[in-house]
Amino acid sequence: MATMPDRIDEQQPKVDGRLSDADFRTFREFYYRKTGNWFDDNKRYFVDKRLLERIRESGAESFRAYFTSLRFEASGRELQMLTNLMTVNETYFYREDYQLRCLVADILPQVLRHRSRTGPIRIWSLPCSTGEEPYSLAIYLLEHWPDIEHVDVEIVGSDIDTVALEKARAGRYGRRSLNGLPDAVRERYFEPDGPQHHRLVDWLRDAITFTRVNIADVRDTRAYRDFDVIFCRNLLIYFDEASRRKAAEQLFDALRPGGFICLGHSEFMSRISPLFTPRRFTDAIVYQRPENTR
Amino acid sequence: MPLTRSKSPTRSPLQERRESGRGVAELIAQLQSDDAMQRRRAARDLGGCVDALPALEHALARETVTATRQTMLTALMSMDDERVATMLLPMLRSDDVALRNDVIEVLQSLPGLVAPHMSSLLEDEDSDVRIFAVNILESLRHPDVPRWLQAVIEHDEHVNVCAAAVDVLTDVGDVSALPALDRLPQRFPDHPFIHFAANMAAEGIRRGDDA
Repeated sequence: MATMPDRIDEQQPKVDGRLSDADFRTFREFYYRKTGNWFDDNKRYFVDKRLLERIRESGAESFRAYFTSLRFEASGRELQMLTNLMTVNETYFYREDYQLRCLVADILPQVLRHRSRTGPIRIWSLPCSTGEEPYSLAIYLLEHWPDIEHVDVEIVGSDIDTVALEKARAGRYGRRSLNGLPDAVRERYFEPDGPQHHRLVDWLRDAITFTRVNIADVRDTRAYRDFDVIFCRNLLIYFDEASRRKAAEQLFDALRPGGFICLGHSEFMSRISPLFTPRRFTDAIVYQRPENTR
Repeated sequence: MPLTRSKSPTRSPLQERRESGRGVAELIAQLQSDDAMQRRRAARDLGGCVDALPALEHALARETVTATRQTMLTALMSMDDERVATMLLPMLRSDDVALRNDVIEVLQSLPGLVAPHMSSLLEDEDSDVRIFAVNILESLRHPDVPRWLQAVIEHDEHVNVCAAAVDVLTDVGDVSALPALDRLPQRFPDHPFIHFAANMAAEGIRRGDDA
């Protein structure tokens, strides 16, 4: 397990310059322990740029001063702001739509067939970034799943980035985000909002719940339970082996037995954790928490 | 309306509520439960608790349910304690292939704890254990990995151990491995596949160095 360096480089440059190698390593270890995200050396420019920006904006005189306050700040506010900067938020509507087809054609019918409890079908989108994924799920179900007329569905979107969550709640998107949507669908669920943007209709925005969750923190995820389907796409690829295993454990706990998890196209759960059973459907391979794990 | 918004998206199942707030002693006792999921939840909540290490070791040795075993191993991974390596390394000799593979995966993520044992692992009497040690090196984040691998292809007398090391060197080797790779075929003149593998690895390293 990674450990904190016990000393910070005294010779590091002032904040206008580049971080010293020792400072980079110190920060990397700390950030990894807090969020589970590991930055390889080839991410150095990305990290330096954002970290130096936060150091300047916080008014700290040096990395050392900034890092000390970051480590010991009780509210965790600065860590949250830094996390918001370090998180990649590029996504769009109907992304990897083969999984949406799979959801309607195979996953939800299985969920309906095997569920023993009443109440809505629960879907968790994590990380939901600026909301495109959970709203896509909602729109796709309304457009392509006739059973939604008589089955309640609850969709929760969660992310570690609070700025992204605010954007998700606002439901306002530019052309780039909406490119994948057919015109008719866009017209049904969006209203123009200025020359370059569209805004989701109020009733659809109000139908999705957004929450802040750090999947690396068991205290955050402990109360997220009983989901039938989880979409967790393109998150685990940013984690190292230990963090991936821990995240897989949290996702396992969040699913009800027999529930399904959809990963990004380049992610394979069997390499992450044998907790789940791969299920090959027509449009996608997804992963299932075994029924007998109650 | 078919889409329903939850006022409270979080829930806490009754069983977990009952179990919340347990102390280490209770969690350790729960590792003995007849219910595999209870054992799993106990192991999950003992993650990082070094006081529970002996109990987890005992439980892991007896555990047969994959999900529960996985969680026990994940709990051990989060303990920065040298006893974790000491406890896991003998499991490389297990006849249980799944357990062995799990242990290799865990050890790969503990470079600081594994490194002090690597030389003796690579000199183990059992060639299978030496191969598993090379498997650990495959994704061990440690600066000595190339040196350990080179030592294997210089000195190990078992062709399969050397072949495993060549395989890893193909991905992680640098020019310092070239002399040993070039000499390797002479050590096993009756095994043409090792000639082929060593040549492939050396060519790959040379190409990478030219690029």
